[in-house]
Amino acid sequence: MEQAGSVGVWTAIVALARSEGAPASLRHAVLACAQSLGAAGAVFSMAYRLSVGTAGIRGEPLLACGAIAGELEELQFTLGEGPGVDAAAGRSPVLVPDLADASARGRWPAFAPAAVDHGIRAMFAFPVTAGTALIGGLGVYRAQAGSLPRQELANALVFADAMLVLALDQQSGIVPDVDDLHDTALATRRAHVHQATGMVAAQLNLPMADALAALRAHAYARGLRLSEVAADVVARRVRLSAGDMPPSHAPQGGISPDDADPPAPPSSIVPD
Amino acid sequence: MAATDRQVREAFIELTDTLVSDFDIIDFLGRLATRCTELLRVTACGVLLADHHGQLTLVAASTEEARVLELSQVQNSEGPCLDAFTMGVPVQRGDLGDGDPRWPAFTAAAQAAGFSAVQALPMRLREERLGALNLLNAAPGPFDSDAVALGQALADAATIGILHQRTLARQEVLAEQLQVALTSRIAIEQAKGFLAERLGIDVDAAFGVLRRYARANNRRLTAVAADIVEGRLDVGRPQLPDVATGVRPRGRGHRDRVPLCSARTRRDWT
Repeated sequence: MEQAGSVGVWTAIVALARSEGAPASLRHAVLACAQSLGAAGAVFSMAYRLSVGTAGIRGEPLLACGAIAGELEELQFTLGEGPGVDAAAGRSPVLVPDLADASARGRWPAFAPAAVDHGIRAMFAFPVTAGTALIGGLGVYRAQAGSLPRQELANALVFADAMLVLALDQQSGIVPDVDDLHDTALATRRAHVHQATGMVAAQLNLPMADALAALRAHAYARGLRLSEVAADVVARRVRLSAGDMPPSHAPQGGISPDDADPPAPPSSIVPD
Repeated sequence: MAATDRQVREAFIELTDTLVSDFDIIDFLGRLATRCTELLRVTACGVLLADHHGQLTLVAASTEEARVLELSQVQNSEGPCLDAFTMGVPVQRGDLGDGDPRWPAFTAAAQAAGFSAVQALPMRLREERLGALNLLNAAPGPFDSDAVALGQALADAATIGILHQRTLARQEVLAEQLQVALTSRIAIEQAKGFLAERLGIDVDAAFGVLRRYARANNRRLTAVAADIVEGRLDVGRPQLPDVATGVRPRGRGHRDRVPLCSARTRRDWT
């Protein structure tokens, strides 16, 4: 079943990190994603809000594998249109097998032709979210038109889940091992983890994304599993304190582009 | 069978009516669960969809939400829904009290939750497997074969309804739609936790508050949950001022804030 694919994604991220003698990071996830999906490029963008209570969500390409993909990702946020923008706004994947067809050009009149001009025919955009809490987005750019095959689509979604955990950990300064990462990523599919996140958000007056990061940091610091701590929080056996708050949390959800690491967006992982 | 022809006909019409512009998959599957409990006279019904990790996730349930949720999580390692999903056939156990060697952990969990009989129905169309429907009864005894056939027909209608969207639009729509369902479900769980903490109640009671508010205001569960987690909905408790002062969410000055607990008051006005 897809379980195997899920493990395969983590193996690919970790293998890449090991080859550099480094702990697994967001950068490795972006690189492994582009490789495993045979993409011309992959980009992870951070989300932030222009103002509270509006739909004014903007993104900033943070990690780009492939210079063209990085440019096109940035172009979307400049234009305010594109699959990545729609994926962030709707908290839903936006899968575009052919950017040259009429429906794509009709939906993104400026972006779609620009992408085709740059030799990109298909784009698959995935929100990186915990529920409706938007952390960022994953954009996968392909030179050939065509749908992502089922297993590749499942893998791309697992990569987006991996990026959620890696982004939260990066924010909190956690450098976890692979088993811990995999376990945490799977836990973020569990109902009680999200119930606990909601409770922590109410306890500490945090946005959901930061509440999840706090829960994760609390578990990590004590060598516990996220799922266990979440069960304790829901049962009211554990209550998080302000000391569990991640060191750098943005005022309104997600990670602010200013304190995220590495800095200057978009930075390319591999020279083209 | 207890259900009248008219009720059955209406249920089918409802479950194939997916081509509306404001289609909401959580609402849709919630209606499937409700219709199943009404028409099949079962105690509870849950709708489980498979995510991209191959994990079955509860996305909607009849009123017995809490008990069904727990049983859904167990079924990622063993249980009738996992069997129905992987094999694509209905799976039944009329009396869990006898024990079932296939699923010792599920059987124990189901009994602890007060269920004695279980029926799982696959949600699939040819090779496309979406998930499974979980029917649960408090009283032991085999499920009526007519009821099972009707349940499978409802599950099929709902599956076709979801997939139908795809054939009319693009192949990609199904994947997008399923992700929306899973994401919305997470927001609902977050909102349950948030409400539970603010109102000093447990998460199941919080779900009741959420659902009643959504119904009283004729709004979608998903939309109300999103408003709560994003701080657009006041979760104060006006009748308890000492609590209310401590519960203003984040105080970021949203102009369109609506007190959650005024739901009852509003209904009384109309």
